[in-house]
Amino acid sequence: MIAFEDRTVEAGALATELKQLEGRLMMLFATSPTEGPHGLRALVRAGDVLVNVRAPVPGSTYPAVTPMVPAAHWFEREIHDLHGITPEGHPRLEPLVHHAPEQREVEIPEEEDVRLAHRGAERLAGPGVFVIPYGPVRSGVFESAQFLVQTGGEDVAYCAQRLFFKRRGAERRICEVPLDLAVLVAERVSGTSSVAHALAFSHAVESLAQTDVAPRAQAIRRILAELERLYNHLEVTVRECEDASLSVGQAQFAALKERLHRLAGALVGNRYLRGAVVPGGTRIDLDTTALDLITTTMTDWERDWERTLAVLLRTDSFLDRLVSAGPLPEEDARDFACVGPVARASGIDVDTRRDLAYDGYPAFEVARHSDGDAMARMEVRFHEVDASLEVIREAIGTLAPGPTRVATGPFVRSCALGAAESARGETLYWLEAADDTALRFCKLRAASFMNFGIFNRLFDSQVLTDFSFIEHSLGLSPAGCDA
Amino acid sequence: MIRWFLRGVTRRRLTTRYPRTEEPAPPGFRARALLDPNAINPRDAWRTAQVCLPKALTLDHQNRLRLDAGRCIGCGLCVEAVEDGALAIDAGYELASRSRRRLIIGDVQEDDISPEVLGGPFRRSLHIRHVDAGSDGAVEQEIAALLNPYYDMQRLGLFFTASPRHADVLLVTGPVTKPMEEPLRRAYEAMPEPRVVVAAGTDACSGGIWTEPEVLGGVDRVLPVDVYIPGDPPTPIALLHGLLLASGRAREVSAPSWDADAAGPAERAGAGAA
Repeated sequence: MIAFEDRTVEAGALATELKQLEGRLMMLFATSPTEGPHGLRALVRAGDVLVNVRAPVPGSTYPAVTPMVPAAHWFEREIHDLHGITPEGHPRLEPLVHHAPEQREVEIPEEEDVRLAHRGAERLAGPGVFVIPYGPVRSGVFESAQFLVQTGGEDVAYCAQRLFFKRRGAERRICEVPLDLAVLVAERVSGTSSVAHALAFSHAVESLAQTDVAPRAQAIRRILAELERLYNHLEVTVRECEDASLSVGQAQFAALKERLHRLAGALVGNRYLRGAVVPGGTRIDLDTTALDLITTTMTDWERDWERTLAVLLRTDSFLDRLVSAGPLPEEDARDFACVGPVARASGIDVDTRRDLAYDGYPAFEVARHSDGDAMARMEVRFHEVDASLEVIREAIGTLAPGPTRVATGPFVRSCALGAAESARGETLYWLEAADDTALRFCKLRAASFMNFGIFNRLFDSQVLTDFSFIEHSLGLSPAGCDA
Repeated sequence: MIRWFLRGVTRRRLTTRYPRTEEPAPPGFRARALLDPNAINPRDAWRTAQVCLPKALTLDHQNRLRLDAGRCIGCGLCVEAVEDGALAIDAGYELASRSRRRLIIGDVQEDDISPEVLGGPFRRSLHIRHVDAGSDGAVEQEIAALLNPYYDMQRLGLFFTASPRHADVLLVTGPVTKPMEEPLRRAYEAMPEPRVVVAAGTDACSGGIWTEPEVLGGVDRVLPVDVYIPGDPPTPIALLHGLLLASGRAREVSAPSWDADAAGPAERAGAGAA
């Protein structure tokens, strides 16, 4: 159960309130309009406390939060698009979710010049500067997203990211389908983070119903969640090798990744671990044969991983491309409330597995780095691979006999937050109950929603050929962001 | 670089020999549900249809269940809901079909799309252009996995191409969201004829769990689809089978039949839900 401190302020005082909390903005959204006036809700992590700030909006406008709390920038554009509430004074209130599909020009926000001036830099400008609209259909097998790259030929002047080509209405679907089936929707929001989304959703439902999950189910959940983290971190490594034209490395890491998917397929019957995590526990049990399979597979896997990684870390052609690519200063990571390996590589100490402890995770050290470049993000992931292997070993060792699933009873609370740390970072589900068995409102926030927000800030003194290294080092999921 | 060379050549062969030899799925793999259309009494049938999120299981006018493998996400909840064994889970990989209707079990209407292969100009090598029309992101990784040493699709003459201009196949994933309709159409129009459209994944085949207004509900709402590859996500072998079907080098595999012999689907199916 995640406990928070409730506060209610007037919409006019929301910005000051959030600023004074000096915390990390986790979510900001408008609640469903069926219940009278719109209400804004903000979740802030301030020190060890979670603060839930509510602000009713009597009309259709309120003073924007973004000028004081930059992390609100996408949230407020989303609120404007989806609910028609205008945050007055937002520095860049152009459509985010409901964009016009055609856009060929970049509008550089004023804040960008302010930011560059602050760094003593100047923006590339002049008659030779042009825009490359890259996407939504891109060369290669990629998810749909669009990047408008402004360049003079080599140096990147500015890069604007445009998402939400893939919005499938997951929040609406979660509320309209029977509660027993809603977790299947959550699993398919970001298909490569199925376990994390299922966990975050299940945690929220368990919190609504005040259900405690059995220790055996918790251990199985940890095994699955860490297995998922492993193949996602491997995916990033494969992509970076591909960008560096390191064919053998790419093949070797892709083979390592494939072994994890085969293990997943043998354990739960789905290569992306779907259909395993449900509210109240897990649908599957791991018998001794399955545990032996994990142990033997992972022992071999770890040996091959370490050997291949050792070669990679001695390959200059790879390191040269990643070191100093796409720098994210700690200040930006903090201001824009980045999460996951991206935040940790810029020195931010954030990890949902520890901060909002769930499913019996043992104490572990959160891997961090101070460089904030693409290489730092990779190194954080490499450390996390070791940590994940350790968590899996520990979970197998402590797997006690017992039930794997308990029934979630009727809801006893009206609203709840569920959280989980996906390979990409903090994943959140905010649920509100309609009655004691149905949901009225769902707001989900994938890690990629936060980390996509800083994409345009990573191109200071970068060149065009750095683009794919920078993009892949963030390990983003457009599907999760768009929901 | 010598270290990479040594790492490369000292590994044993990993690559599957598919399609020359079969590549079985692990026991308990949940590819799709299988249905004995006559085995379920009407009340159970109604109750079973209720647990199917993508509405792959529906009732026909005689209150008999019909199963649309093009909508099935393989969650296995229907198998848990009935106890008389009228449903099972198929662990097969080769699910692709030339016809949307042939994916529906229990549909009595005939269709006129030949199960025969496309063949002709596509028989030798294929150049594939992928377009994501709103997938969950896992299908893209399964498609990318076709290049890993286990599947190595280039050995079969299958290649990804960056431009639709020299593509033979448009490989589309996702249920087609509204903003992706136009880019998808444009990619198709940029391709030279003859061209083949392959819908990869349950959501691309039918929309899957997603509904209007955000999504259009399947690639065939926008483009003529030649090959459907169901799966959530489709496995690399399922994708290979579908692509080989498009090039005329594989045949459709019909769903295991219930009354053919006593063993029925059990040979291929796992022990039910995992």
